[in-house]
Amino acid sequence: EKPCTLKITLRNFQSIFSWELKNHSIVPTHYTLWYTIMSKPEGMKMVEGCTNITRPFCDLTDLWNNMHETYIPRVVAFKGNTELVSCVDSIFLPLNMSFDPPDFEIVDSMGHINVIVKFPYNAPKISVDRLRRHLSLVIEQRSEEIVKKHKPKITGNVTGDFVYVLDKLIPNTNYCVSVYFEPKNLRAVIRSPLKCTLLPGLEPESSESAIIGGIVTVFLIATVFISSIVTLKRIGYIYLRYNLPDALVFFLHFVSWIFPEPPPLEAVDTVDVIYINRKKKVRDYNSDDETDSEDETAPRVSAGGYTRHGLITKLLTQASTSLSTSKESQLIDLDVGEDYLSEAEAEPPLVPEPSSGQSECASGPYDRRESELQDPFSEEDNSSTEGSGDRIIFNVNLNSVFVRALDNDDDGDVSPMLPEETVDLENPDEMESSFLIPREEGMPPPFPSTSEEHLESEDAPSEKSDSSESDVDIGDGYVMR
Amino acid sequence: VIRKYFWPICLVGLFLTSVLSQSCDLLYVHLNRVTWQNLKLLSHMSNPFPVECLKEKKAFELPQEILSHTQPVKRHIEEAFYEISSQVFNIFSQHACKSAWDEKHLKQIQIGLHQQVEYLERCLEEEEKERDRETLLNNLKLRRYFNRLGNFLKDKKYSQCAWEIVLVEIRRCV
Repeated sequence: EKPCTLKITLRNFQSIFSWELKNHSIVPTHYTLWYTIMSKPEGMKMVEGCTNITRPFCDLTDLWNNMHETYIPRVVAFKGNTELVSCVDSIFLPLNMSFDPPDFEIVDSMGHINVIVKFPYNAPKISVDRLRRHLSLVIEQRSEEIVKKHKPKITGNVTGDFVYVLDKLIPNTNYCVSVYFEPKNLRAVIRSPLKCTLLPGLEPESSESAIIGGIVTVFLIATVFISSIVTLKRIGYIYLRYNLPDALVFFLHFVSWIFPEPPPLEAVDTVDVIYINRKKKVRDYNSDDETDSEDETAPRVSAGGYTRHGLITKLLTQASTSLSTSKESQLIDLDVGEDYLSEAEAEPPLVPEPSSGQSECASGPYDRRESELQDPFSEEDNSSTEGSGDRIIFNVNLNSVFVRALDNDDDGDVSPMLPEETVDLENPDEMESSFLIPREEGMPPPFPSTSEEHLESEDAPSEKSDSSESDVDIGDGYVMR
Repeated sequence: VIRKYFWPICLVGLFLTSVLSQSCDLLYVHLNRVTWQNLKLLSHMSNPFPVECLKEKKAFELPQEILSHTQPVKRHIEEAFYEISSQVFNIFSQHACKSAWDEKHLKQIQIGLHQQVEYLERCLEEEEKERDRETLLNNLKLRRYFNRLGNFLKDKKYSQCAWEIVLVEIRRCV
């Protein structure tokens, strides 16, 4: 194994022969270089200028200039007068010489970079010939992940600065440049350190004008778009919906449930208002109730399409009931629609649920309510209802109420739009015919028919007949019980 | 030992070109490429040069004018390359059995040399030019040069130092 590593390098067009001891523990004081050539039967010759030197390299540009020759160098390391190490090797320049990258500078400009390769002004001729025959100058351009190689041809005398222009570059981009020699003998290259620069961007005026142009463009696009929509709407090509989708309506209801707002004075209840028109039959009730039921007025239709009704709630303190007063008051105070449904709860709103503890005189909310509905807008009614004290007045939107005018309704007390119903207040379970609901043809009646045993009123026969009868189909899907 | 005295690449590599290349214009490019490849391989095998062999070195007097890059006539270079390839192939074939080279490397070099010689023959036949006096003279000089190399090996009885010296000498052909 060789005790030394011998290298020959072309550095700045100078042939520099260098050496390095592999055993770093050996520290010589000076070195001496000898060499010979293979083509002649000559012995070792000492190199002038490389005798007893402390530096580990020597310039042999003028001595080793034959590319066809094989040189045999010998380096002897001394410590004092003691020879420590002797290194011998064969050097074949085309095969063993490495090429250090040249010095260079980069100057950026608008859209291009000037690469200035610094060649010595007095480069040895042999080196120049060597460059042309055995080497290629490579200028490597790097930008992010893109690497581009330029191999400029060097013509004429290679002296002074050699300028190469990198053009077609992107402004506001960082470019790195490396310059090196690429031997034609497929030897490894030695790249120079990268020198990077950021190309300047566009002029400020051009950037500002670009911003202004962009704003104007966006404005024009928005104007064209809006005018197109308006034009299409006016000509009827598109129809913009003003009604909110059902999903959004549900969301709004959910939000309003969480954050309840006071209902507007004239707001229409959002619940389905089921209009009922019935005759109440109470066993122990006073005549007032019957009077009320008899005095039930026909609903009046306002100009806005609302049917005016009035509900008169009766306190059941006179009647024996299992219900507490608080519950009654609750029924009175609460909004009609909401209370109406709240009592029904999980049950279909049209089906009453027998509550435990209820007496025969009972207590369903349906039983307590008069069928008379009063128009809150009517002064007369108001005056009349004011005197009632327990009257609840609300507006009913006909669009949300399943009502239908009956042509053959002979009952004077019954609204021409609604069939008459009889409800036994003592048996709130009998809600079989309390409601008028739309029903598709062929479908079974939504409510189970109650047994006839619960009917105990004086009008039982007629009522029984009514209740015992099957559902009367009045046509168009409406069912009256 | 014999492995170290592998035939120099310059004679082999000079004429080792790609078998796929049929164009004479690409001849020089392929020769140059293959030469460098073979030189690197052999240099790795022959290092380091033994110092004790320096005393046996000899001047074989390679004719420099033949391989000069200043030759104006391209055909002269081609003729020289053909002569060198043939001579190296002959020496390589004659003494291969006496070497300790790796069998695989030995066959590769022999095949490459043979193909290169055939390629050069075809290229020279296409040009259909008769060899002029200068070409014949150059060929004669090259044959004498290679005879000296062969005789040196023979005289040294194919010793280690003789092969090392011949290896270094043949590299000069590059």
